[in-house]
Amino acid sequence: MNAKASPAEIFSRFLPLTSLLLIIIVWQFAATGGYFGKSLPSPVAVVNQFVDMLAEPVGKTILGGHIWASMRRVLTAFAVAVLIGIPMGLLMGWNKKAEAIIKPIFEIFRPIPPIAWIPLAILWFGIEETPKVFICFIGAFIPAVMNAYTGIRFTDPLLLDAARSQGANLRQLFKEVAVPSALPAIFAGLQNGLSLCWMCVLAAEMVGAEEGVGYLILRGMDMSNPAMIITGMLIIGAVGALIAVGLRYVERWVCPWKREISM
Amino acid sequence: MTNNGRKIKIQVQNLTKRFGDLLVLNNISFNVYEGEFLCIVGPTGCGKTTFLNVLTKLHPATEGDIYIDGEPANPQKHNISFVFQEPSTMPWLTVEQNIRYGLEVKKVPEEEIKKRLNQVMELVGLKDFRNYYPRQLSASMDQRVVIARAFAINPDLLLMDEPYSQLDIKLRYYLEDEVIRIWREMKRTVIFVTHNIEEAVYLAERILILTPKPATIKKEIKVDLPRPRNFADPEFVNIRNQVTEMIKWW
Repeated sequence: MNAKASPAEIFSRFLPLTSLLLIIIVWQFAATGGYFGKSLPSPVAVVNQFVDMLAEPVGKTILGGHIWASMRRVLTAFAVAVLIGIPMGLLMGWNKKAEAIIKPIFEIFRPIPPIAWIPLAILWFGIEETPKVFICFIGAFIPAVMNAYTGIRFTDPLLLDAARSQGANLRQLFKEVAVPSALPAIFAGLQNGLSLCWMCVLAAEMVGAEEGVGYLILRGMDMSNPAMIITGMLIIGAVGALIAVGLRYVERWVCPWKREISM
Repeated sequence: MTNNGRKIKIQVQNLTKRFGDLLVLNNISFNVYEGEFLCIVGPTGCGKTTFLNVLTKLHPATEGDIYIDGEPANPQKHNISFVFQEPSTMPWLTVEQNIRYGLEVKKVPEEEIKKRLNQVMELVGLKDFRNYYPRQLSASMDQRVVIARAFAINPDLLLMDEPYSQLDIKLRYYLEDEVIRIWREMKRTVIFVTHNIEEAVYLAERILILTPKPATIKKEIKVDLPRPRNFADPEFVNIRNQVTEMIKWW
């Protein structure tokens, strides 16, 4: 960005901010106007609630502790899903026999939303950490496998021929052509998987937990504290967005050729 | 068949390819001499692509074989380069890495890789672009990377499959001159497949004309004109008409 921005450009850059500000103002008026009774707290009340929760514990821990509790579940599940799912997807995409064996199983399980596993997970694993991690695992596992699989399957045959004609053997074709060409698809799958994971952890926590952001929202409802609910919701949105941004940075680092053209 | 005393580099013997009952290549035999620029033309749909895929051993032949220096051709052992019709650079590798790839697969020593890299990048004018990714390049530059990659491995045989058919006419003229220049400098054996008769007459030392499917060799024409060739030269026009006449299906 070296060209000077014209007034019109500056204006259009501020447009998103303007609309956000507008929402907050409308919200403030709606809350103080009393149209919703006590069930809609004002933005100021939400900010106060947020600041309170930074230091004062809700249940067992303060806000940071709840965020960490949810993150820990998500990251554990995500790591396991990636470690098992990606190799499985790669194998399925590369090897016709593996595809024939594994794919039908996936076709059955894929359309079942991860949340539908909650009752079984509780019956199998109780109400401690395991069922929550398990639900998140299902959420991340399926996109991890499917995207690695399609990524490999959609490798341009021309590129495989090009490498083969240069003398590459089967192992090199896989490692040096198919896998790199599948990387963008794999990352899209991770991106999907991680946000699904984050949704799943909330659902799992809302069914029964003593800490976590999902617990915060439910606790807010039990205590008739809508400010706590909204704080929880905003935190969920913010953390989800941060996770997505973080993963995008990793992708830019791993797949530099996908970067925008800029000198 | 005179060959100016050059030795035979490639022998194609009784090459036949069937897909089930469909005979695509019918008993094709010819030789290519060391350092020769051979063009193959044929009517569209005559099985040129199949022919090339069999020649490079990407697909097995039904009968017959290809010999390089008297030995059956083997991509793992011989250096066979292929310039495809569509862009075939690896998007995730930079220009330099793309050119290195084949050399690394062949386990050429690092010293030698560096030497050849510099040579070919100089030759195709990509030196300043060595760290660019293919998507940052224009179509013609991308095809130049493929050509550089093809010449870098010092190919025993370089196959070009209508490499310029996707480019506009100006770039095509430019790259035709380029490939002749590089070929003369590197002294490689080239088989260049095209459906563009003028291109064939402009480039080739010798032209093989294929029949419609099942393809076999219809005629061989020597083009003994000085370079750079002139499209308006009566002799050039004469050869072009001869080839056109041979390829007519109407």
